[in-house]
Amino acid sequence: MDAFELLESTSTIAPADTLEPVTGDIAHVRDLYRSAPPMDGTRVSTGLQPGTAAPEFALPMADGSVVRLSELRGSPVALVFYPLDWSPGCSVQLELYQQEYDEFASRGIRLLGISVDSIYSHGAWAAVRGIQYPLLSDFQPRGATARDYNVWRPDDGHSERALYLIDADGIIRWTYVSERLKELPDFDELVAALDLVAATTAIPRGEEKHAEGTHHSESKEEKR
Amino acid sequence: MTIFDVYTPHLQPAARTVPVAIYGNRWCGITQLTRRALDRAGVDYDYVDLDDHPSVQARLQSLTRGLLRTPVVYIDGDWLMAPSLREVQAVLARHGVWA
Repeated sequence: MDAFELLESTSTIAPADTLEPVTGDIAHVRDLYRSAPPMDGTRVSTGLQPGTAAPEFALPMADGSVVRLSELRGSPVALVFYPLDWSPGCSVQLELYQQEYDEFASRGIRLLGISVDSIYSHGAWAAVRGIQYPLLSDFQPRGATARDYNVWRPDDGHSERALYLIDADGIIRWTYVSERLKELPDFDELVAALDLVAATTAIPRGEEKHAEGTHHSESKEEKR
Repeated sequence: MTIFDVYTPHLQPAARTVPVAIYGNRWCGITQLTRRALDRAGVDYDYVDLDDHPSVQARLQSLTRGLLRTPVVYIDGDWLMAPSLREVQAVLARHGVWA
């Protein structure tokens, strides 16, 4: 029976019994987002075009240390702007990228989340969601980096949901801004873009000799 | 160890096969999270994209008496709406797919 026939032979759908009893405070807190007020809205900013130099930023992460884009030069960067920690509904983007972290890491791409939340909120949110890559705090002046990247929503006080892939030289190679806040980039398209930015990335200094004569597509195959 | 050395969760491979269907949207985070997790674990499933099949969305609306939340996941007789990955894993475990 395929998924279409299944529906034809079904008379009613009642969700299965609660399968994961709320047994502790953390379980309850972790799932708060599922019953939070909905968040939706259409795109108001369009982002920066590929080919643009990625604006510099220096933003703190949950442990208080500061991440500067210029210090990451030499590695491609995936910069994930998301509206807010604790936001509801289909917003499991950060969890998805945690699950799929090796898609970024295997291509040498450094993954960063960024929102206007404080470092303390980021710490708590990352802990309950199991997110281990850095979340940057675009908190003061609020949204300054989101404005620099043209993904700011002035009426909402937070950014668009947007994703930039920046090459090792600090040039934006791929730009995605969700048409609706709840929408994520298609994962297959994202993986294709990860391949693109990995392929356009210069060979890191000191490794030229080792990689000499290696075609980019071959080195991608090796990583798979 | 740097801030970019991140733990990636490893899911156990599927132990047996049961009918699984996902009715979702490609832009939806829960849909992507669930599909990629099942892909990684080697669990077969049917996928119906609701943007491509509006009649299926209408049918689901009717079957859930207007209380539809997507994605809908079917696992061998059990229906889940907008489930967490933990719920999907728990139902699969109940059906012997994950120990």
